[in-house]
Amino acid sequence: MKKWNPKLMILVSSAIIGLFIANGMRLNLDLITPVTVKSIISAKNELSAAKLEVEDLEELIEQKSSELKTLENIASGEENIIDIIESDLKLNKAKAGYTKLEGPGIEIIMFDNLLLDNNVISYNDDIIHDVDILNIINDLKVAGAEAISINEERLTSSSEIKCGGPIIRVNGRSLGAPFTIKAIGDPKVLMAAVNAPGTYGETLKTIYGIGLEPYIVDKLIIPSYKGIFAFNYAKPMEEGD
Amino acid sequence: MKKKGEVVALIFVSLILGLILSIQFKTVNLSVGEGVLPTQRAQQLANDLRKVQAEKEAQLRLIKELEDKIVVYEKGGVENDIYAENLYKDAMKYRMLAGYTDIKGPGIILEINDPPIDIQFGEGFSIVDELDLILQLISVLNAADAEAISINEQRYTAFTEIVRAGNHIEINGVSTNSPIVIKAIGNANTLESALSLKWGIVWQLRNYNYIVHLTQDQEVEIPRYRRVKDFVYASPLEETGN
Repeated sequence: MKKWNPKLMILVSSAIIGLFIANGMRLNLDLITPVTVKSIISAKNELSAAKLEVEDLEELIEQKSSELKTLENIASGEENIIDIIESDLKLNKAKAGYTKLEGPGIEIIMFDNLLLDNNVISYNDDIIHDVDILNIINDLKVAGAEAISINEERLTSSSEIKCGGPIIRVNGRSLGAPFTIKAIGDPKVLMAAVNAPGTYGETLKTIYGIGLEPYIVDKLIIPSYKGIFAFNYAKPMEEGD
Repeated sequence: MKKKGEVVALIFVSLILGLILSIQFKTVNLSVGEGVLPTQRAQQLANDLRKVQAEKEAQLRLIKELEDKIVVYEKGGVENDIYAENLYKDAMKYRMLAGYTDIKGPGIILEINDPPIDIQFGEGFSIVDELDLILQLISVLNAADAEAISINEQRYTAFTEIVRAGNHIEINGVSTNSPIVIKAIGNANTLESALSLKWGIVWQLRNYNYIVHLTQDQEVEIPRYRRVKDFVYASPLEETGN
């Protein structure tokens, strides 16, 4: 006599298998999301960028803790608050662009394409635009420029570079071609930033024929910001806001 | 025979099941693309990223704490000395100018979203490809007398660079992506009209199908610059009374 009905067995076991599969799928829902090589590469890039940020922050923490330590030394009489604030003031003044700076760097002379016999499509390609200068400045900043000026106008965080017909306006003053851009920093890196193949500067020079002549200078002097800048709208945020 | 019929039916059902499974796999492959990999690596990367981000947040908290302490010490130190107090005020002014203070005030908020992906041509384009436009935007804002600017919560200072790195942007060494949110403090009306001028920069962006929202705000908050920047090459030149 049959003890078990085979049909029933099959029914029961398939039900159990079905349950298992469904359960497994539910548990590993994120495991079975498909992944491509592309998404892995972009995740990797993101990770390395995040790691760099963490390194930057670590540096900042170190700086802040050393600042705190010097401040704590005031109580023991080793440091003077006035000295600390004075050095802070000097540094921030330089960073904000209110101090004349000196150091090694490069000087770039830029002038419009002066050739008459070239067959250009538009006269616009022959002259220097604000975008060209903005891109060169950005490249210099990427290369770690510590201070930049255009025709003796120091660039600060609030300097505009705008086309205004035949001239370019910087810090509210009109500058005409040729433009002399000075940047203090590591001369080799700065040079590469405007001169290396594939950079914006090189394209400008070889394709559009715009004059762009960088020189390494051992001792550059970059003037301070000459304008008057006041905060009329912005207010510092109170601590603990 | 009845038994044999059952076996055949079972085989038939299993075959169909197998077919359905393989078809399913094929479709997934086709719709997602070749090169579907085991997901372990991706998960590991995601875990690492989460860990690094948690670390970053902890560091930011620590920095905030340190900054608060420093302020307390400085304020305490200058309390009883008029000269020190004035010096401190001056130092604060330049700290603000250099971008080392969180500030707020009236201004504008500009949000740039990537255009919707064109179904016909596949991949869309992104503001990441046109950093020129962001540089120009900042220049326009500065021309309209903006007092402080931030891009995706990164303060724009004299050292701020905007670089493309892969398919995202790095600003102040911090990677961000679209949507780009640019905040500026200043005269809100001037800033808005400078941007939304016909043939102006926002017009140009909209012309390229970017989805741009420009709003005025009475309380724009702009964070401070958080990056160590030391002068290695440049040294201050003492003014010789001219």
